[in-house]
Amino acid sequence: MNDAHRESPPRARLERATDAPGVDVLRLSGSWRLAFLAEIDTELRALALPAQLTIDGSELDEIDSAAALALLSRLPAAGVEWTGFAQNDARIVEQVRHRLEGVPELPRHRARGLFETIGRDAEILLRVALGHLSFLGAATVGIGASLLNPRRVRLRELSAQFEQVCLNAIPVVSLVTLLIGVVVTYLLGLQAKQYGANIFVVDGVGIGATREFAPIIVAIIVAGRSGAAFTAQLGSMRLTEETDAIRTLGLSPLDVLVLPRVIALMVALPLLVFIGDVMSLAGGLLIAGPMLDITPTTFLERLRDALDISHVYVGLSKAPVFALAIAVIGCHMGMTVGRDTRAVGMATTSTVVQSIVSVILLDAAFAVFYQELGI
Amino acid sequence: MAGDDDVIEVDAVVTRFGDQTVHDGVSFSVKRGTLVALIGGSGTGKSVLLREIIGLQRPTGGRIRLLGTDVWSSSSRQLDAVRRRFGMMFQDGALFSSLTVAQNVAVPLIEHARVPPPLLDPLIRLRLAQAGLGPEAAEKMPSELSGGMRKRAAIARALALEPEVLFLDEPTSGLDPATARAFDALVRSLVDDLGITVFLVTHDLDTLLTVVDRLIVLGRGTVLADGSVKEILAVDDPWIRSYFSVRTTVGPSAVAPLESG
Repeated sequence: MNDAHRESPPRARLERATDAPGVDVLRLSGSWRLAFLAEIDTELRALALPAQLTIDGSELDEIDSAAALALLSRLPAAGVEWTGFAQNDARIVEQVRHRLEGVPELPRHRARGLFETIGRDAEILLRVALGHLSFLGAATVGIGASLLNPRRVRLRELSAQFEQVCLNAIPVVSLVTLLIGVVVTYLLGLQAKQYGANIFVVDGVGIGATREFAPIIVAIIVAGRSGAAFTAQLGSMRLTEETDAIRTLGLSPLDVLVLPRVIALMVALPLLVFIGDVMSLAGGLLIAGPMLDITPTTFLERLRDALDISHVYVGLSKAPVFALAIAVIGCHMGMTVGRDTRAVGMATTSTVVQSIVSVILLDAAFAVFYQELGI
Repeated sequence: MAGDDDVIEVDAVVTRFGDQTVHDGVSFSVKRGTLVALIGGSGTGKSVLLREIIGLQRPTGGRIRLLGTDVWSSSSRQLDAVRRRFGMMFQDGALFSSLTVAQNVAVPLIEHARVPPPLLDPLIRLRLAQAGLGPEAAEKMPSELSGGMRKRAAIARALALEPEVLFLDEPTSGLDPATARAFDALVRSLVDDLGITVFLVTHDLDTLLTVVDRLIVLGRGTVLADGSVKEILAVDDPWIRSYFSVRTTVGPSAVAPLESG
């Protein structure tokens, strides 16, 4: 069968009929198949087909529906006679003609203009932002109700989420913040050494890490890790109608799915930021010895004098707010994802982008806020 | 074109998952241009066998030839050549969700056939029409389609390369009876008008009783029965009797007279 399929290429020949003058004969031969569609097209294009003709298929090996389509699309609408076709081939040609009768052309795909794209995207952005706000409201009410009635909190789900977002994040958070501590100390050290101000590097890294770097870096890691996971988990649960099943069982997806995630993340992030504080200071301490001749003892003593505890509190106080933003965005994007696989992927990407942007915006707001308060 | 060669040959196929034996020597063959249904109770490995035939899952033992090529001992090049000669419709369509229906149908055409650009749109339109879809479905995304339309779009994609064999996994599951019957007629017309061999897995008794040429009954790890519906109904096997009893109790007239194409 395999090699028997190695057929002769398709040919079309236009002949003047000798017996019936005025009627031309288009003689088809070879194998008219999808695989030879390009050849068929060139073959037919090379011919100037008259308005009246007879098509002779007696030398045809076979014809499939794609080739029949190519043939039909070059033929005049009327005045065509068919002869010599095998029964199978005639049926295929007839079927193609019949299928396409009265069927309009495919609609043209219209590309969007620049302004239409901007307008539509802006509208979507606005709608998503409003959606986040109302979801934030629902989550806040839920948290409030949980505080009043702690039995509403699903402890098992909460602890499972806590393990995911906090315990499992400790290694990556530690590693990244340690390295950030090393890098920041090194860069500050390069400058400070020129003025012999080695010891002030401790001030810089202490305040910088606890107040800004650690909270921001940890929040970004968590946005990429847990925010994305929330959207992907809830989105695929929506895809398999699990969220609908929860609703029909008389449970609230908000209680079962969303609140445990939001609460777990709001508890987890401050803890992770604290770990980040410790690790970035440890990173500074590690590099300060060999680079700046600051012994660990000196480093710690200077840190105790220079680093006011309020800086640490400022850093830690931002964490639950970041966590709320990440969790609300992640859960809301997951709960409202479209019901197809592509939508889950797009929503997950969007969650990461949105949560990182909102973390940085919130941090800027905090900077202004604390500045005004004089802390 | 040779008309009566075997397009699917399954020879003593054995499938085991751990210590659970699903197939213990399954053998049958399918002739060109016929509409054959594979049936069997849940867990008898119908879908597994289908996946083994089309080269998605390796059987533990035995031989499977598809269009003359041994599926599990051929080079990947030979297998790729065979893949262009059959089409598969997955149970839920398995349409690519990021592409429109027209783009879904275009994927095999663009990847594997050198279709001249001016012919691409008409060809997609033909494939949609062959699957019973109008051109208005072309620009829709798969998520916007109903279950029946999704299956039709999947058939259109499976037909794209003008396959010699078409595999259908549960083509009428999840469809309402009227849509399901229209689907049966569509499948039958593919066999009659285009000469395609259709091999389907189904539970739909109406499909079995009205459009199928031949039934292969899978059970207890092997082929329980093989033949036309009338022959199968005459087989004295408790599972087969209970399977069809639903319908025979409704009345013998429910069995439509069957002409094999």
